[in-house]
Amino acid sequence: MTSIEVDQFIARSPAKVWRALTEPELLARWWAPGDIKPVVGHRFTLDMGTWGHQECEILQVEPEKLLRYTFAEGSLDTTITWRLEPEGVGTRLFLEHAGFNADSPLGRAAIEGMGNGWPGLLRRIESTVG
Amino acid sequence: MPDGDVFAALANPVRRQLLEALRAGPRAAGELAGQFALSRPTVSEHLAVLRTARLVREEPRGRHRYYHLEPVPLADVQDWLHPFEQYWRARLIALRGVVEGEDL
Repeated sequence: MTSIEVDQFIARSPAKVWRALTEPELLARWWAPGDIKPVVGHRFTLDMGTWGHQECEILQVEPEKLLRYTFAEGSLDTTITWRLEPEGVGTRLFLEHAGFNADSPLGRAAIEGMGNGWPGLLRRIESTVG
Repeated sequence: MPDGDVFAALANPVRRQLLEALRAGPRAAGELAGQFALSRPTVSEHLAVLRTARLVREEPRGRHRYYHLEPVPLADVQDWLHPFEQYWRARLIALRGVVEGEDL
């Protein structure tokens, strides 16, 4: 029901951005280590540090254009979609992180945190996913 | 549940489905009951919770009561996602650093 959308311009070709999204060694350098492979049905695990190991499954692959996978099965239960569009000399990268539910285990934890005040929640999220 | 608790109102899957249905436009309680194969009293109870949370408002039209989506309190719900959004902005900047900084 609720989702996050963020986009970022990167002054490199979609082919290079695609590699950073789909090659484990590069993915680990900006996000998390994991055995990702851009093949529909491929299951992989992302090591999110103190946030735990998150189970994922590739749902859709259009090389250098679109990559969609489930993220954090059993806790956050969401879907991540990356979309790459050529823009000028580079790439506009769109992220949609969809399917946040207030009644998922993590959603509940976040909401309980809100009862203790907004700064407390921010600190907790930072310390768990930072 | 405390009165007007948006999160508690949204925690129920039937109520989320009712809100989704109302995104298409105002509906009468009876229509909603038919769509979800629920009894009228059940739907009325859920609509009352949504109304208390100010997620919907009621409008009498003749013998029927129509329900409209009220978008404003949903902003509170987006608030709990805000840290995730901050998180992703930081990750995307890191990604840009990796891609632009390396000779890929």
